[in-house]
Parts: sequence; C-alpha cells; structure tokens
Amino acid sequence: MIPFDLQEPASLAEAIALLDPDDPSVRPVAGGTALMLMMKAGLFQPTRLISLRRLEGDLRRVHVDEHGDLHLGALVPLSKLELSPLVAEHAPAVSETCRTLSNVRVRNVATLGGHVAHGDPHMDLPPLLIALGARARAVGPRGERWIDAADLFVGYYQTALERDELLAEIVIPAPSPDSSAAYVKFTALSADDWPAVGVAAAVRRREGVILDAVLAVSAATEKPIRLAAAEAAIRGKSTSSGSFDEAAEAAAHEVEPLADIRGSTAYKREMVRVHVRRALIKASHS
Amino acid sequence: MSTHVDAPAPVERKAPTTTQIGRSIPRLESRAKVTGEAEYIHNLRLPGMLYGKIFRSTVPHGRIVRIDTRAAKELPGVFAVITGEDVRALIPDPYYGPAFHDQPVLAIDKVRYVGEPVAVALSEDPHIAEHAANLIEAEYEDLPAVFDEVEAAAATQVFVHDALRPAGMFPDLKHLHGRTKTNVALDFTLRRNDVEQGFAQADYVFEHVFRTPTVAHTALEPIVSVAEPRGPQALTIHTSSQSPSFVRSEVARLLGWPENRVRVRTAFLGGGFGAKLYIKLEAMVAVLALMVKRPVKISLTMEEQFYTITKHATTVHLKTGVTKAGKITARQCEAWWNGGAYADIGPRVTQKSGFTAAGPYDIENVALNSYAVYTNLPPAGALRGFGIPQLVWAYESHTDLIARELEIDPLEFRRANILRDGRPQATGTIMHDIATVEVLDALSSAMRWGESFDRGKGSIRRGHGIAIGFKACIAPTTSGAIVNLYGDGSCAVYCGTVDMGQGSDTVMAQIAAEVLGLDPQSVSVIHPDTDVTPYDMATLGSRSTFHMGNAVRLAALEAREKLFAIAGKALEADPSLLTVADNGVSAPSGRRLSIADVIKSTFLMQAGNIIGTGSFRPTYTSPSQGDGQSDDITPFWMVGAVGAEVEVDTETGRVRVTRLVNVADVGTPINPGIVTRQLNGGALMQLGFTMSEAVRFDNGQAVNASLADYKIPGILDIPDQTLAKIVAGCQSTGPFGAKGVGETGTFAVSPAIANAVHDAVGVRIFDLPLTPETVYRALRAAQHNPLEDQQ
Repeated sequence: MIPFDLQEPASLAEAIALLDPDDPSVRPVAGGTALMLMMKAGLFQPTRLISLRRLEGDLRRVHVDEHGDLHLGALVPLSKLELSPLVAEHAPAVSETCRTLSNVRVRNVATLGGHVAHGDPHMDLPPLLIALGARARAVGPRGERWIDAADLFVGYYQTALERDELLAEIVIPAPSPDSSAAYVKFTALSADDWPAVGVAAAVRRREGVILDAVLAVSAATEKPIRLAAAEAAIRGKSTSSGSFDEAAEAAAHEVEPLADIRGSTAYKREMVRVHVRRALIKASHS
Repeated sequence: MSTHVDAPAPVERKAPTTTQIGRSIPRLESRAKVTGEAEYIHNLRLPGMLYGKIFRSTVPHGRIVRIDTRAAKELPGVFAVITGEDVRALIPDPYYGPAFHDQPVLAIDKVRYVGEPVAVALSEDPHIAEHAANLIEAEYEDLPAVFDEVEAAAATQVFVHDALRPAGMFPDLKHLHGRTKTNVALDFTLRRNDVEQGFAQADYVFEHVFRTPTVAHTALEPIVSVAEPRGPQALTIHTSSQSPSFVRSEVARLLGWPENRVRVRTAFLGGGFGAKLYIKLEAMVAVLALMVKRPVKISLTMEEQFYTITKHATTVHLKTGVTKAGKITARQCEAWWNGGAYADIGPRVTQKSGFTAAGPYDIENVALNSYAVYTNLPPAGALRGFGIPQLVWAYESHTDLIARELEIDPLEFRRANILRDGRPQATGTIMHDIATVEVLDALSSAMRWGESFDRGKGSIRRGHGIAIGFKACIAPTTSGAIVNLYGDGSCAVYCGTVDMGQGSDTVMAQIAAEVLGLDPQSVSVIHPDTDVTPYDMATLGSRSTFHMGNAVRLAALEAREKLFAIAGKALEADPSLLTVADNGVSAPSGRRLSIADVIKSTFLMQAGNIIGTGSFRPTYTSPSQGDGQSDDITPFWMVGAVGAEVEVDTETGRVRVTRLVNVADVGTPINPGIVTRQLNGGALMQLGFTMSEAVRFDNGQAVNASLADYKIPGILDIPDQTLAKIVAGCQSTGPFGAKGVGETGTFAVSPAIANAVHDAVGVRIFDLPLTPETVYRALRAAQHNPLEDQQ
C-alpha cells in the first residue's frame, strides 16, 4: 500500500469540500470494508481518503418521521440496522436481510451509505431498497437532491452520485397495510460468500390477488435492476404458484447474467428464475 | 455442532498404570495465544532489517528478454533491486528443491508460471518496497504452455523443463537424471500378481475417471522468512517453517557451506498444512541478506500464497473387476498429479500415496501407475493428506458406484472386501495394528446404517453416504530429541517438531511427563532451533506423535535411568526398583526424594543437568523398481472413515451437509481432546475442498487468488452435527500405543458426501468441488434436459 493523505473532517460540509469532482483517486471512506480490499489488491490507490468517522448527528440515526417514513442515516452500521426495533417494525425485510449480509464482523463496521454508494452489484440491500421504493438524499456543494433507489445504480460499480456528493440518508416510505416485501439470496460457494443471485420482491395484494409488485435482481447482473417484464406478468394475477411461475419465466428471459466463478450465464439465469419465484412466495406469505 | 469422543478401551501395557496418557489436558500455549503473547515470526523486526517485495511473472511460460529495474532502483528509499542474474553471481547453480533441484531462487532465463518470482525490491519501508516492485518491468518471449496434467504427460512439443534434475536424496529418482523431452517427473509403478487375469476372472468390469482441482492451503499466517547475516560466513534464518532441519541442509548446500554455519529457528506457526515445508522463501531471503549484508524479511500476503504452493489437481482412472457375489478380483489405477512448474515434494506424493491407490481392500491383482507431471501452473506440494484425499475421492466414489450397480449395500460391499490385520497390502507389506473392521463397525453404528432414513420432500431431497480411506506414514524418516532435567528438577524437552496449531508441544510434554513422573503443564518445550534442537525430518504426514513421540520417550527414559542411578545411592536402593511420581523418586522402602533433591545429591547444590537423548528411526524397505513391492513399506497405517448426511436443493443444486461423522483409528490417543479437534479440523478443511474450493485458472493466471473469491467454509457451512469417533486401537510400536492423526480426518470426506448426494438425487459427480452448478447440471443431464449455454 502506497502512503496517502487521510483527512478526518468534523462536519458534512467540510467533508464535501475535501472531495474533488475531477480526481477519482480522492474518495470518501466510512467503514472501509470494501475500499480496503480494493486497496490491498492494488485495484485502487488513493491520493486522499476522506474518513467520515468523526461525522455525527442524523447521519448516524434511525428514525421515523410524522408520515411514517423510515429514515436511515448513511453512517449507520449494518449491524445497527439489523438490530434496530424501528427497522424491524417498519421494514422487517431489511432487518432480515442484514442477518445474513456478509458476516457479523463486517456488519459491525460497514455502513449503509458505503454499502449503497460503493455501487458493487453484489450488495444485498440495493435490490430490496429498489423494491421498497426507497429514496436517497445526496448532499453536494450545490445543495441536496433526492434520487430514487431505482435510479441510483447506473453501471458496474457506478452510481448516480457525483464525485463531490455524499449520501446523507436513505428513506423508506411508510408501507401500505396491504404490502409486504422479501429478499432472497443465493450463495454458490460458502454460505457467507457474495451472493450469486439476489432477488427482492415487494407486493401489494388484496383477497388473493396481486395488485402490483416491484421486483429487483442483483449480483447476477452488472447492476441492481428492476424486472419490468416479471412485474407486468404478475400484476393482477392471483397469489398462486402458477402466476409466480409466469413471473419467474419472464424474469429469466429479461435478465442478462454475467458469468463468473460463481456460475455461468445459463446457470445464473436459472437461479434468477428459481429465486424470483421464491421471493414472490416469501413476500406473499410474510 | 456437537462433538463426541468414545473412550478408548484400555490396552495392555508393561508399564504401571499411566497418569498422563489419555488425558485431555489443556494446550500448554493456550493462554499465550489468547493473550497475544505467543511468538510468531510474522511479528519479528530486527535492527537494520530490509523488507523485500517480490515482482512476479505475468506469463505462464516465457523466455526472459529483459528485466528493467531502473525506475524501481531510482525510487527514493529503495536499497536494492535483485534479479536472477544477480543471484547467479553469488551462487552459480541457484536451484533448490527436496526431490528435484529445479526451482531457481529467482527466475533465470525462463519463467514457468504466472506468479513466479522474477525480482525482489528491498527497502527499509515495506510500502516503498511494494511501490518499487510495481515499477519493475519485464519483457518475455511467449512460449507455448501446458496446463492439464494428462495433456502435459503426453506432450511431445511443450516441455516445462529442458532436462530432469533429481536431487539425489531419494535413490528411486536417480534413474531420471538428465532425462529430456518429458514433463513426467516421476512414473511410479506397482504390480501385484496379474491384473489382466484378475479381470478375466471377474463377472463385471467397471471403469471411471475422477478429477480434483488445484486447491490452496490458506494458512491464516501467510508464509514469512527473515534471514540475518552473522558476518559473511554465517546466517540465522527465522522462518515459519515446518522443516527447519531441511532448510538448514538445503541452504548450506546452495551456499557450499557446512551445516553448522546455518542456524534455522521457528516459533509458533499460524497453520502450516504442508504449505511451509521444505524451502519456500528461505533460500531467497538467505541469498538476499548475504548480498546486501543486512537482515531481510519477506512476508507473503494471503494472495501471494496462491502463487507459492498449492495442492495437486489430479486425474485418476480406475478399473475394477468384481464377481457377481461382490468380491473384487482386480483393480487398475492410473493417477496423474498436476505438479505445476516445480516438483517441490510432488514426486514423493506420487509414490508415497500412489502405492495405496487401490484403497483399503484385499485385492489379489493390482496394477498402479502414478505420474508426477510438470505443467505451467504454480507448484503443487504437500497438503494435509499428501495426495490421499485425491485418491480416496476416486476409489471410494468408484467403489460406491460398483456397490450400487451390483445392488449390494455399500457398507456390506466394503466390509466384504476390506483389508484386514495380517493380510498383505498391494505392496506386499503385511498389515499390522490396523483397525479397518472396527472402523467400519463404528461407522455403521454412528450412521444408524440400515435403519429407516428421512428422504426429504419437495425440492429438498436427503441422502446418506459413507467412505473409508487409509494412508501409510511416510518412511524412512528420523527424529531426535533431548530431555533435560535442570538443577531445580524442572524439565525441558528439546525437539524439532513445529507446533503449528496441532498441539504437539502438549503431547510431547505429556509423554516426557509420563516417563518422569511430572506434571505435563510444568514441562517446557523448546521450539525448533537447529543450533539447539536435534535433527527432525519435518513436521508433516502425521508423523510427529509417532516418531518424535518415540524419540522423546526414549530421551526421557535415558534421563530417568541416569536419575535412578543417582537416586539409588541417595535412597540406598536398587535403581531398577525405583519409581517416579509427583516430581519425586520413590524406593520400595517408602523412602522418597524430590527430583531436585536427587540432582542436588550429586551436584551438591542447585546445579547441573541430567540429560537424556533419544533418536528414532523405524525400519523400512524401499519398494523395488518396476513392481513397487516391499515387505516393510511403512511404520504404521492410518485409517479414517466418514459418514455424511446431506440435503440437496433440486432446484438449485445446492448441497447442505447436515451431519458429518468421522471415525478414526489413531491407536491409543495421548490427548483425546486434541485428537478429536484434529479429526474435526481435518474434516472441515476437506469439507471446503469438497464443496467450494478450487483455484480457477485462465491461461495459467489464477483468477480467484484471494479469500474474497476463493471461499473456505464459514461457520454457517459447518454441518449441524460434526462428530469424531475414536475406535479402540493400539499401535504396538508407537509411544504408549499412539499413531499419527493430523491427516486422518481428511481422507474420506469428499467421497462420503458425493455418495450421499448420489443417494439423495441419483446423480454422480466425478469432478470436485460439488458446487451448486455442478450438481444442478448433473440433475438436468439426468432428466435428459441438459442446461444449454447460449452464446
């Protein structure tokens, strides 16, 4: 590792001012679990890291506002999401996903903001945040803006965030009483491996009929994406296994999985099929 | 997870009732490890020390055209940049290796695999050394490369080495000297009776091919060595080595020095598993330190270990003749071992494991061929089992397939053909102290074999399977030990066995304490230091408890004889009637003196030593050239059987092992707690090699050389039940009846799981590992609906 400049600003504004929109070797770091691996492997050599560890306040807070929306500060560690009673009440699928996200040592250190802003398609929460209709608040030198989770991921390790912007929080809208969500993941090697396929489903249903569904897949694809054809295939259908099979079939056709050591394109396509069905079953029964 | 140990039945001994043997005392070093006080070479820093960072080859096979070190040398803070040509100026023939002198300290003329060390940058600052290594550039003229072991063995155009260079240490390799136009480093042959006649007598003949991939040791403490010059004519090497005695001999040979000018010492090792055997970084740091006249340290990263040593990928072809009644009449085996670019200990693996390739069965006609093959991949060497798990994968998958085909219960089929005590093994050696039958019986009861079994439902199908393997301990090897009683009666054991997590310090202390009537927790074990501790071949192949245990026992007996001679005078008793217990010597009269007082009675103050020495070298007959026959092939046999229960998700192919039972013949365990943990540890390591681990190569480049992408089992992969059962046994030649155990837990894990998968879903996996995609594709193929790879 080649020495670099490490800054530890005390405020969000100060941190943003230290970022450089034109220099990709200047980056913010929170938990560092992903960035340190890239640095050790020589894939990333920073000239300056802006550590966010001294930032306090809402960035580290989990709360529910007057509309019932769940606010998750970007610097909240994943283990806090996992154990938060508020998260368990308002977004139980998030709590559950965190329980099998990497391992307890990583969850104690890695933050929600880093998890999302890293743009790695193998992360567990992005497809679930898409399915739950979450929004991200980004803050930069020109002020703040809101980005829908579905628009946040633009490519392989690429997000819609500018280089001089920081994620401040993720907001999950209050769930409607007839909705439920689930995330299922499939690891091909060890149990705590990166997922080979991750599928999130959020459904609204009434009297055995799916009013609408949001489906998102990650890990198998170059970025987390919504499965529009699968969503269309299930809309207005009954919560029976036959309709789930149709949605799964549509999903298998619309994805373009990337082959890697965790599986071939053909195999991952099959696993998308299986796990879209399993995600729909799990969401419809939770 | 639960563990269980069957109490071993008492064995007959001439000695009085033992007090220290069979006791699960805590490990001597536990507290030091938990508190961070335990010494590791990784933490060593010496005044003036330079850090070396290795620049590695990026091509699998190429002629070195140019190495440009200018930019690296100009970087501020760089002390030196050394290449193979610089090394050759100091040592004209800088090639090393335990079996072949084929591996250069740094590449000379050619590179033979991606990751081969080409140059080293040195600096007082490890970050500068790393930066400098990144600035080195090399140009290669690409040469065609070979990667597959079967193709490489048959190659007629592409050769990894121009000529074979056997080291001369092993007589059976001498005939290979100077051989050219081949990638086969050793072809071992065994012939017992007439295999063709055996096939003719058979009602059925079965043939299958099984494969295993390259896998990695991934010791938690990566390989690290420090060389410290003591003037121009002497060296100290501090190294995380499993074989300090060999390092001394080989470094002295390279330098043309007598051995007494090279001192090699180790500390605790953070795991070894065979990765730290023979020479790894030691020759490199030794040469660098002598060139720059400063101490030099090289610490590998976890990633670099994948480019340093691996476990052999294999292809094993088996053919078996069997009668309708289920009697095996003949077995033929051809095994190809992918040794990578340098032989390391591969030719020994090929031979020492090769002669057991027919399995623990009583087979009249056997023909075995085993080939050590050079390829353009990272070198392969020893890894916990020394080739046995690859062979057991093949012969126990094969054996299960035969039993199924004959519709004979797999356990009964094995029982009917098992090699029993008193019968000849394929080499002709008569089996002694081998509890094969007892192991199968214990496995049967642990697995509740023959009782009803839950087959699962829906997309989750359940199955169970068994397998059994065996191994001959490596021979011939030697261990020496010193037992020293100090003036105050305290005791130290000097032995070259490396405690790398297996608990050898504790076991050696128990053996010395047993002989001398001491508390084992009070015995100090001096770690390997070739200036202090006697020769030991190496800590490998489950040999230490047996060999070093015997040497320590002999040394302690000699010290006790000397103690009794002195005590006899002090106690006015016949020395042969004295006994030891609780740090003291007692006479039949009831008179008793502490060991300290006995010593004081002759030195007249708290002074002096009572020193016993022990040297142990079992008998051995080298297998004869051509037919591999020997009447004394090994000092002892290890037997390990495994039962597995699995759940297969038929929609994904994912296999979950729910129950893993390991049954072992370990003789009489010295410390049953350590033995159980060794068996479980070995089983879980092999579970990784079975389910997920494989180093994947793209044109010779490892593509998953990190723990992020090379996945070892995590805590959630551990079976709900992992059990180790020790059958009652006794190795009559072992120390207090003990035999080795370090590898036994690995033998039969892989085929037991594959056999269970077959039982669950009716498909056979021939190539490890059993990844979900592998199993899924087999399921689809069995449904005549193979998974198509569209373009």
